[in-house]
Amino acid sequence: MTLTGLALKNLARNRFRVALTTVGVAVAIVAFLLLRTIMSAWASASDYAAKDRVVTRHKVTFVMALPKRYYTDILAAPHVKEATFANWFGGKDPKHEHEFFATLAVDPTYFSVYPEISVAPDALDTWKHDRQGAIVGSVIAKKLGYKVGDRVTLQSGIYPGNWPLTIDGIYTSTSRTIDQSTILFHWDFLNDSMPVDRRDMVGWIVSRVDEPGRAADTGVAIDKMFDDRDTQTLSMDEHAFGASFLGMFSAILTAINVISAVILVIMTLILGNTIAMGARERGGEYGVLRAIGFLPWHVALWVVAESLFMGLAGGLLGVAIAWPFVNRGIGPALEENMGRFFPYFRLEVPSMIAGVAAAALLGAAAALIPAWRASQLRVVDAVRRIA
Amino acid sequence: MIPIRYNIRSLVVRKATTIATAVGIALVVFVLASALMLAAGIRKTLGAGGRPDTAIVLRMGSDAELGSTIEESSVPLILAAPGVKVDEHGRPFGAAEAVVVGAMGKIGTSGVTNVTIRGVTDDATTFRPEVHVVAGRPARPGSDEAMVGARLLGRIKGLEIGQTFELKKNRPVTVVGAFEAAGSAYESEVWVDRELLRQAYNRQGFFSSVRVRLDSPTKFDAFRAGVENDKRLGLQALRETTFYENQSEDLAKFIGIMGTIVSVFFAAGAMIGAMITMYAAVASRQREIGTLRALGFSRTGVLSSFLIEAVLLAALGGIAGAAASTAMGFVRFSMINQASWSEIVFSFEPTPQVLLKALVFGCGMGLVGGLLPAIQAARTSPLKAIRG
Repeated sequence: MTLTGLALKNLARNRFRVALTTVGVAVAIVAFLLLRTIMSAWASASDYAAKDRVVTRHKVTFVMALPKRYYTDILAAPHVKEATFANWFGGKDPKHEHEFFATLAVDPTYFSVYPEISVAPDALDTWKHDRQGAIVGSVIAKKLGYKVGDRVTLQSGIYPGNWPLTIDGIYTSTSRTIDQSTILFHWDFLNDSMPVDRRDMVGWIVSRVDEPGRAADTGVAIDKMFDDRDTQTLSMDEHAFGASFLGMFSAILTAINVISAVILVIMTLILGNTIAMGARERGGEYGVLRAIGFLPWHVALWVVAESLFMGLAGGLLGVAIAWPFVNRGIGPALEENMGRFFPYFRLEVPSMIAGVAAAALLGAAAALIPAWRASQLRVVDAVRRIA
Repeated sequence: MIPIRYNIRSLVVRKATTIATAVGIALVVFVLASALMLAAGIRKTLGAGGRPDTAIVLRMGSDAELGSTIEESSVPLILAAPGVKVDEHGRPFGAAEAVVVGAMGKIGTSGVTNVTIRGVTDDATTFRPEVHVVAGRPARPGSDEAMVGARLLGRIKGLEIGQTFELKKNRPVTVVGAFEAAGSAYESEVWVDRELLRQAYNRQGFFSSVRVRLDSPTKFDAFRAGVENDKRLGLQALRETTFYENQSEDLAKFIGIMGTIVSVFFAAGAMIGAMITMYAAVASRQREIGTLRALGFSRTGVLSSFLIEAVLLAALGGIAGAAASTAMGFVRFSMINQASWSEIVFSFEPTPQVLLKALVFGCGMGLVGGLLPAIQAARTSPLKAIRG
C-alpha cells in the first residue's frame, strides 16, 4: 500500500464526518463561484469592449448634450473611419410602468458603428424608411410581448409628451457587451418634435478608428479639437468608458472581494477542524506507525494528503452544483431581467479552475498545523495516550 | 436538568475545535451584520433628508430631481397653492433649486465620478435647519463660492476647502466651507449659487425642483391637488419623505437581499462546521452520556444539554462577530445611487436591531447545526455506551 493510498483509506474511516465536511466545502465553493461570476459578469462589459470605438461626451456632465455639428467635426478628424450619435431618451411604456429599459434615439449609422447588433436586413431597411419606426431588443420584446408591426406609445421624463412608435424589427446579439433590452428609434423623429431651441443636440458621439491601437490617441485628439469651443468634451475608448463606469461601483466590487476571501476562510476553518479532530483521534495509531519505522514526514504527509483530497472533492462537488445552478438557472434569468448590468452572466472555466484549486490548496493549508503537531508527537506519548 | 457548567467546561476542554467553529460562525454573523448595517445606512442617508411637512414638486414622470425641469413661470403658482406655510416676512416658505451632476476626479484613482451639484439661494439653509457649517464659512450668496458636503472631503479632487473646481471652462468656483446635514444625502453634494449654476449649465429659465414647507403634514393632500390639478403645468407633488423612500428603497433592498443570500450560503457552511464539531463531541463523549443517562438524566435532558452546548458555541461566535461588525461603523462606503446617477457616501449604521438580528441568526445556526447530533446523543443507550 502506498502512502497516499493509506491517506485515502483514512478518509473512509469516518465516512459521515468526511461527507459532511465535503458538503461544507462544496457550499463554500458554490458561494465563492457565485461571487466570482458576479465580478466577471460586471467586468465583462469593459473586458470585452470593442477596441476601436471612442465615446465622446460633454466634459462637465452627462446631463448636457453636445451640438450636433461636433459630429461632422469628429467625422473629419484623422483616423476616424465612421461615427454615429445617440440621445438617452429615458423612455417608459405607460402600460408597463415598472419595467425598466434603455431607450436611445439613434441615427441609422448606429448599426454600422455597432455591427454586434444584428437585425434582419429587410427589417433594418423598413426602419430606415419609417420615421416613427423602432428596433427593439429581443429580451425586452419577449418580456413586454412586443411583436413586429405593433404600435407602442412611450413617455419620457426628459422629453414631454407621447411618442408613438411602430416596431419594425427585433435585434439580437451574441456580444457580451450588448444589452438586449434597449429600444432604438430615429433621432430625426425626436429632433423634429423638439422646440427649435432644443434642436440639434446629441447626447454623445461614438466614433470608430481605423486601427484599434489608435483609440486612446484619437480620443485625446478629439478633446483637443473642441478645447477652445463653447462646450468641451471628454472622450474615452470603450474599454476606459466601461472601466470608469465600474469605478463608480468600486466599493461594491471591493466588498465582494472581501466576502469571497471570508468564505474561503470559513471553508478552511471547517476543513482544518475536521482534520485536526481526525489527527487527534488517531494519535495512538500514528505512534504505532512511527514505532514501526515511519518517519515524521510520513505522518505529516498522510494528514496533508487526506485534507487535500477532501478539499478537492468538495471543490469538484461545488463546481458540479454551481454550474447548472448558474448557467441553467439564475444566469439566463439575470440576463433577461438585469441585462443592463449583466448582459452576460455565466460561470466561466477560469473561475471553476480557481474554485477547485482554492479548495484543494486551502485543504492542504488547513492541515498544516494538525500535520505538524501529529508529526511532532513523541512515539512514547502517542502510544500511551488514550484517545 | 444537566448543569450548564458541564457544557461550558466541555467547550473549554476542546479549545481548538471550539475556537475554529466559533470563528466560522463569527465570520458569518459579521458579514450578515455588515450587510444589514449598510442597508440601514442607505435608508438613513437617503431618508434623512425628508420631512413629513415638506413637499417636493417635480416634473410629471420624473423620479429624481436630476431629470426634472420646472419652468420659472410655474414657481409662483406652486408657492400660491393651498397649504404652503408663510414665513415671518409674509413670503411663502419654499426653495426652487437647480440640480445637475458634474464629472469630478476621485482622489486616489485616475477615474472620474458623478457628483451632485445643487444650485441654491441663501434660503437653502433656512429651509433646511439641519444644515450647519462644520468647517470654513458659508458661501456668500451671488458669489463664485461653493460649500461642499462634509462626506465629500478627502474623496474628490478640487473639493477641499480653499481649492477651486470648474463648473464650466474658465468659471472656477472656490470651496469656502463644508457642511453637515444630519447624515443625509446632502452631505454628498456640492452647493453653489443658483444663478451661477444655471448660467454655467445653460439652464436659464428652468429649475429642477421646488420644495415647500406646509402649514402641517395634513395639508399635503390639498397642496397636491392644487399643484396637480392644473394640467398645463405638468407637475407632480410628493411628500418629501415618500420621495426619499422611493430613492432609497431599491438600493437598500438590493444590498439587503444580496447580503441575505450571501449570508444564507455562508450560514449553510458554518452550520455544517458546527454540526461536525457537535457530532465529534457526541462521539467522543459516549461514555459520559451513558453515565449521565445511567445516573437518571432523561433523554430530553441530554438532548437539551447538547442543544444548549451548540447554542452556546454559536453565541460565542455570534457575539464576537457582532462586536467586530460594529467596527464597520467607521467605514465609509461610496456608491452610485441609480436614482440620481451620482455618487453618495454611505455609512454602516450599527443599530441595536441589526446587531440583535445577526446575533439571533448566529444562535439559530447553532441550534439547527446542533439538532441532529443532540438527537443522536439522546438516543445513546446507557448500557452500550458505558461498556464502550
